[in-house]
Amino acid sequence: MNEYRWSDLKVGLDAQFETTIGEDAMRRFVEISGDVNPLHMDDAFARNRGFPGRVVFGMLASSFYSKLVGVYLPGKFALLHGIDVEMKAPAFVGDRLTVKGQITHLSDPYKRLEIKAAIINGEGKTISKAKIRAGVHEPA
Amino acid sequence: MSRNSIIEELVPIFRDVLDQPDLELKGETSASSVDGWDSLAHVNLVVAIEKRYRVKFALGELQALKNVGDMADLIEKKVSKS
Repeated sequence: MNEYRWSDLKVGLDAQFETTIGEDAMRRFVEISGDVNPLHMDDAFARNRGFPGRVVFGMLASSFYSKLVGVYLPGKFALLHGIDVEMKAPAFVGDRLTVKGQITHLSDPYKRLEIKAAIINGEGKTISKAKIRAGVHEPA
Repeated sequence: MSRNSIIEELVPIFRDVLDQPDLELKGETSASSVDGWDSLAHVNLVVAIEKRYRVKFALGELQALKNVGDMADLIEKKVSKS
């Protein structure tokens, strides 16, 4: 886990990691969220809607923006203030996803950073884009 | 730029950040008189204003502000120096 402090941060600083959403994550997301929409649960239903298989929950894929902030950028001393997510394309179970973000703005008075982030699949297609607002709450 | 013209320019910023399309601002408008102007909204307002005017605030400058009029005065001072 990164432990960036406010003084370490610069506009342009970036981070990325890779992840795969498997069956277990899908099952646990259903348990947590209660979202049982068949697009995410039923392969036949998803295929009838024109998809190659069940679509990964958009909010499950987007949950990796939380990891981006809390583990990587800035990491340990992060406090998430807000995320605006735009879903661009579906992700599917087993897709290899790259989650990446870059600091675009730093505001000193309240130690607020803004991050432009995206999740990209193995074919280079953007699954979602996000504008993230976070604070740095480091020990004195 | 005058205080009043800056306050006029702040109106769309406040409306967007506070999600209040009909919000009106006066010099004496303060956090206590606007629903939703809480601490997190205040941070969002400050960042939006910094971007709009390409200025940087110091925490001490912000802590001295009592209302929108004070903010407009600070912006005028910052912009005239830049």
